[in-house]
Amino acid sequence: MSVDTATETKRVFGVEVPQPRQFGASGGIMRRLNFGTGLIGGIGLAAIAGWVTAIITPSSASNDTFAPMEPTYVYLAVLLGWAIGFMLGIGAFVGPLRWVVGRDITHDDAEYMAGKDLGRARYWKYTTDHKVVGIQYLIATMLLLGFAGLLAMLIRTELGMTWAELFSPSFYNSMIGTHGIAMIIAMIVAVTGPLGNFIVPMMIGARDMAYPRLNALSLWLLVAAIPMLISSMFMGGIQDGWSVYQPLASQAPIGMLGYQLTIITFAISTAIASVNLMTTILTMRAKGMTWSRTPIFVYGIFAASLMGLYAFPFFQYSQILGLSDRVFNTSFFNPLNGGSVWLYENLFWLLGHPEVYVIIIPSAAVALELMPVFLRKPLFSFNFAVAGIVGVVALSGLVWAHHMYMTGWAPAANYPFMLSTEMISIPVGFLVLVAIGTFWRGTAWTRLPLMAIYAVIFNKMIGGVTGIYLSDVPVDQYFHGSMFVVAHFHYMLMGAGLFGAMAGIAFFFPKMTGRILDERVGSIGLWTAFIGFQITFMSMFVAGLQGQPRRVLQFDSQFNISNWISTIGAYVIGIGMLIFLAAIITSWRSGAIAGSNPWGSKSLEWQTETPVPLENFPVLPVVTERPYDYGVPDPYEAELDARDQDLTEKAGIK
Amino acid sequence: MSTSTLPVSPTTGEPITTIARRGRVGLWFMIVADVSGTIALVISYSYLWSLNVNGGWAPPGSTLTADQTNSTIPSDPKASFAVEWPFWAIFLVVVVATVLMWFGYRSARSGNHAGLVVGTGLSLVVSVAALVFQWIQMSTFPFGAGDGAYASAVLLLCASNIFHLFLLIFIGMGIFARARKGLINKSNWYQAQAASYYMTWVCIAFLLGAILTTFMVDSPNVDPAIFGTFKQQ
Repeated sequence: MSVDTATETKRVFGVEVPQPRQFGASGGIMRRLNFGTGLIGGIGLAAIAGWVTAIITPSSASNDTFAPMEPTYVYLAVLLGWAIGFMLGIGAFVGPLRWVVGRDITHDDAEYMAGKDLGRARYWKYTTDHKVVGIQYLIATMLLLGFAGLLAMLIRTELGMTWAELFSPSFYNSMIGTHGIAMIIAMIVAVTGPLGNFIVPMMIGARDMAYPRLNALSLWLLVAAIPMLISSMFMGGIQDGWSVYQPLASQAPIGMLGYQLTIITFAISTAIASVNLMTTILTMRAKGMTWSRTPIFVYGIFAASLMGLYAFPFFQYSQILGLSDRVFNTSFFNPLNGGSVWLYENLFWLLGHPEVYVIIIPSAAVALELMPVFLRKPLFSFNFAVAGIVGVVALSGLVWAHHMYMTGWAPAANYPFMLSTEMISIPVGFLVLVAIGTFWRGTAWTRLPLMAIYAVIFNKMIGGVTGIYLSDVPVDQYFHGSMFVVAHFHYMLMGAGLFGAMAGIAFFFPKMTGRILDERVGSIGLWTAFIGFQITFMSMFVAGLQGQPRRVLQFDSQFNISNWISTIGAYVIGIGMLIFLAAIITSWRSGAIAGSNPWGSKSLEWQTETPVPLENFPVLPVVTERPYDYGVPDPYEAELDARDQDLTEKAGIK
Repeated sequence: MSTSTLPVSPTTGEPITTIARRGRVGLWFMIVADVSGTIALVISYSYLWSLNVNGGWAPPGSTLTADQTNSTIPSDPKASFAVEWPFWAIFLVVVVATVLMWFGYRSARSGNHAGLVVGTGLSLVVSVAALVFQWIQMSTFPFGAGDGAYASAVLLLCASNIFHLFLLIFIGMGIFARARKGLINKSNWYQAQAASYYMTWVCIAFLLGAILTTFMVDSPNVDPAIFGTFKQQ
């Protein structure tokens, strides 16, 4: 028995801890690996894999419809080579390999990997510190949103001047599909990625996430996935919408492989991130942080992670099966040979609808989290808010087939799904009621984050009410596949989701960057985007009511006016977003220095200093009260007390 | 300043019992994600089995569909259903690997270092054997990937098994190496426990596959919908 005994001890948070043997300098090979080596590894392995595959694949290789398979195999090899090479080059496999040979990392190794004393270089490395990962997620999300937003501008330009035919129909379809899935991915991570990682551990009084290396892995898998998605646009594109229904996906150009591998990779990233966040929340809350003292934002992140955890594998497997049909000639979705396209639709929407709540719930939780801070009063019925979140999670897996009313699949199931969809509006309504109740008799301190919450509440009401209409089978028969649906889900995903993320970024910006977000420029950007949003999508509702189908390049002239208005509105959104982005960039570089708690919040993340030290808290905090007790009696409660006292005196009771 | 007497994490200084609890919770969530994926496969198999779209469930050479299949895809006319016992045999091999891992873990808890090393080492060897058997089974199926929905579903179940076995081998290698180095011992056994839990779940996944491929072979839908083939009826 060769026991790898400790050779020295190290003082870790006041305790002398035996250390494993240190091999070389702390960090080991990770000192040499970074984003640059990741790119070299990814591009290098992609080139080698593509070249070797081209050599070993017979040029006569074809599938059952006699289509040549060599390009498919080569593109697949290039994508796999990129993903594996990039992760190898950035150091993702170093930790697992060290574990498997029994070389545990030391405290010094861990501190190096957390980016201690690395300065800005830590943002370009496989860094494990949750705060660095949060910032990395923020940058990755903004880049993805920018890419998808640019596609949106091009789409609206085409629809605003459809007579000019700026793009070919196939490229237009490709832009639609890529915009859709890029936005979905960006919105899924928009709150949970940056804020879940940066804020949640501090909010619960922890020093880091439960699994720091898995945290970095989830981020870099997302980064590895994005180029695969973008590459698909150069390989024929995703021409059948973000949902890539079968059998169109099987008949699509090989760019579809980029979509499929993106989703497979992103699903792994999401599962890892979900496990990490949920474990952190369950096991690392500070002493005294009972569930009734846990901030509502933490509930929102936990709920989104749980929904992502159980639902994403269905989406992942729908793409694995689709990829298998395309590459290995299986027939899961090919009816000619025993497959069923309804199988695809069921697997897809088993994620597809919970995913809406994966986006909405964190955004709603951000709203509920910061409202008490700016209204200086407790959250109106904390328990009601928690019940709303629990209700959404419970029902989220029972509504998927409302996307399939018109497909002909199990018509008898339409009405149960209609019922479950209408039922889910009840817990969602809880959250809206809690928000409105918190406003009631509050003294609003109207700063930029609260302004964004006004926008969220307005948009969510519109999106929610139109959603109830669409959940009705008879109404859906008319609206299905129309621009009305497009307007509805943009109100939910962008109007509530993205504006909620903007609120969160504005609120937590001082803690994340140490500077205050420029409120004047930020507000101009926010309201410009909000006004543009209403112009774009209200007009799109009108086009939908008139009967304009979605995903169609050429349309009847009766839809011209509403499309022109929508396009003008989209440009206004773009301008607003650029102004908001300018506020972020300039404030980050040279904004006013923020104190540790500029909003006077009571939750834990604001009680530590800014910039936040590596270990978050010098001494782990102990929680003794609820997060929203601002020491000010609820005005309504005070009024009731006064009335009771008055009645008591009148009754002569002593 | 104090010096820790209980086993602690070298990186965070927390007691190993705290790390172990965290590890268990994370493992259960990982298993939830894996269960969801396996359910997606089970749904795919049973959905296609129950529909028998275009009579394309069974391989073309199977007795059930020899005169019923309407498939227009070129396929092997001799293709037939897979023999069932290898699914059960491979399942049993994985069960043996799991029992050995449990034995290793229990040995670690009771301070039996030799038992730990032997148990985890044998578990690794048996897992490798299971992978070899699974590969042999896949390469000797009496059908190819293009021989209908049954062939597709079975091949993907086996691919899922292979993925699980690669994971088991990776985990087994780590546990064995760490057991030999004394990093898993009487006071620090949580990684062996986590491996045992995960292997138990993998056994259930293999069992599900064996049940499907044994009891859900012939489609109950003997008069399936025929559409999209444009064949003369």
